[in-house]
Amino acid sequence: MPFLPPIARPPLRDSLRVQGRVLVALLLREMLTRYGRHNIGFLWLFVEPMLFTLGVAALWTAAKAYHGSDLPIVAFALTGYSSVLLWRNMPGRCIGALWSNLSLLYHRNIRVLDIYVARVALEFGGASMSFAGLSVLFIVLGMIEPPKNILEVVGGWLLIAWFGAALAITLGALSHESELVDKLWHPASYLIFPLSGSAFLVDALPAAAQKYVLYIPMVHGTEIVREGYFGSRVHAHYDLGYVLPFCLVLTFVALFTTQWVARRVVPE
Amino acid sequence: MIRLTDVRKVYHTRSGDNVVLDGVGFELAMGERLGVLGRNGAGKSTMVRLISGAERPTSGRVERGMSVSWPLAFGGAFQPTLSGIDNIRFISRIYAQDFQRNLAFVADFSELGAYLHEPVRSYSSGMRARLAFAISMIIEFDCFLIDEIGAVGDARFHDRCNHELFGKRGDRAMVLISHDPGYLRDHCNRFALLHGGRLALFDDFDEAYDRFREAIGLVAAPAIDRAAAVDRTALIEVAQHRALADDRFRLLVREGDWRRDARDWAAAEERYAAALALQPYQRSYWVQHAHVAKEGGHFARAEASYRTACALGEPAADVVEHLRFVVAQGGAEPAAWPIHPYRKGAAATQVPGRPDVDALAWLLWPGATVADTEMVALLRRHGSCDALAAAMIADPRFADAADAVPDAADTDAETIRVLAFAHLPPADGATVVATLPSDAPLWPAAAAAGAFRDWPATQRALA
Repeated sequence: MPFLPPIARPPLRDSLRVQGRVLVALLLREMLTRYGRHNIGFLWLFVEPMLFTLGVAALWTAAKAYHGSDLPIVAFALTGYSSVLLWRNMPGRCIGALWSNLSLLYHRNIRVLDIYVARVALEFGGASMSFAGLSVLFIVLGMIEPPKNILEVVGGWLLIAWFGAALAITLGALSHESELVDKLWHPASYLIFPLSGSAFLVDALPAAAQKYVLYIPMVHGTEIVREGYFGSRVHAHYDLGYVLPFCLVLTFVALFTTQWVARRVVPE
Repeated sequence: MIRLTDVRKVYHTRSGDNVVLDGVGFELAMGERLGVLGRNGAGKSTMVRLISGAERPTSGRVERGMSVSWPLAFGGAFQPTLSGIDNIRFISRIYAQDFQRNLAFVADFSELGAYLHEPVRSYSSGMRARLAFAISMIIEFDCFLIDEIGAVGDARFHDRCNHELFGKRGDRAMVLISHDPGYLRDHCNRFALLHGGRLALFDDFDEAYDRFREAIGLVAAPAIDRAAAVDRTALIEVAQHRALADDRFRLLVREGDWRRDARDWAAAEERYAAALALQPYQRSYWVQHAHVAKEGGHFARAEASYRTACALGEPAADVVEHLRFVVAQGGAEPAAWPIHPYRKGAAATQVPGRPDVDALAWLLWPGATVADTEMVALLRRHGSCDALAAAMIADPRFADAADAVPDAADTDAETIRVLAFAHLPPADGATVVATLPSDAPLWPAAAAAGAFRDWPATQRALA
């Protein structure tokens, strides 16, 4: 075979520009397909999780749920349930996402990962706006105190989001190869919910249980969010030395499975 | 420049690995239009998807030194729940194009008007094709991939597509796939044949097409689902689908079409006849066969074929004028020999056509050939298969040929089954036909199996 010079690839700068364009286009398209232009349209993006959180806060208040501290129950529900929505909705949106978007792969610039990233970003935006909006509302109404350390709240929130995103992309990619993922995720997400630190403070648990609960990664994020919110009123338990490597490894797993699926995927 | 180097594509299926492409390589430069020939399922669309980047090769390299379109005219590249406008907006964003300019172009080209505000899923297939093509044209790619553009839409739409593609964008590179080799011949300047996972390249269409014919000839006839056609009515219905799935049939009728367009009536008639020998109940090509026979001055054959098309369900109104013309040319009074209208129901009561006469002659008059004039006379006179069979039994040739040995290769087993053995379950009938003797008189064997059991006139003629 004669020597063939390789055909030049475009510079990285151009590729990044294309990447940004594709993500914006996918995000806007996702909002349109999900919420359409009827009634309040894309406002549902955060109104829906808000209603969820409000409902849970009302229920827990009415039931005077025990959570092992003297915190106001509304504040407890707000920080706890918002966190749940954050890590639970991202996988829910990513599972099966590729099947419904297979035809997009005909546009070469759209990659499998882009489809997941767009959905994760949308969920993150919705959950964050809901959390922030309700916080402001409750603070203005005087039902809770402003957060003691906003940056810490943001840090914990981002940590949960990182874990949720990596989990979502992994499960999303795996779900393209096996329907079992979809079937198992629903019961799994319900079973993990009470263990995720949203309905209790780790400090209120017996010491023996604390050790095991702290193996669950989102517990750490939720604890950080509460520490940031309530300051010294709670005694938070978390270990960045455990949860950061955990998320890092899960991220690699997510990228690897996505790459694996992308090699095998057949556009319809 | 686009370059494929030693590209392999393997699909993993439950029944093992399916090697679709096995070492495909070529280069395509600006201005080159590559037409890819290949039978159904040869991997043409897979190759186009690999070039487009929608799919990745199992091994080998696909390099793109120019911008490459998605497979054109492919309707799936947009979101059916979104409106036409939102789809245009999305594509404009992905490719960094001016939305307003694109919208104006698509609205003008697709002629969809207010429908652009409706979800794409509410469009007809023709409307989708117009939208898909118009959207494909808003991005100025260096290389266009065109997969079956002629599948939907009317002639005017195709003319406008051809103008956009080969007129305005004639300087670009293209890869074209079409079921119609003539389309590739007219629009490409390089040709390729994809067969057995390998791609052979040609500069000359005729050379490529000869190799394509060889490849198709080597392919076995498509596996036929016998259960699909329990009786003659069902056989007529599935014949339309089977013909579309039969590469050899499609090849022959395409060649017939080219000869017809070149006004070479005799050659066209020969190709159509060869195609219809493969799919005898495919009615629309009986009409084509009749047209070219008429143009060639063979009015008896034309009349027989028009009558056959009607007998198989072609709307009589579409052919009646032609039929009256050829009857008159043959010297008869058209009003005396009207069309027998198409009937559903048992084979005995249905209107016979040429394949039925041929099959009955094989069974009842072995060794005899039915001349064109006699064929016409039989089809004019007999409005049901039962009456036709009875008349053929009453003919002296039936008694004369009682101990003649038939030419086994010269008939269509399925036609025999739905006529003579319609009273048996399809599988049993097929077995009876398959086991008819080939070295001994076959009527006694057929009679023993109860041939024409529920055909009253035939039974009276036999008694």
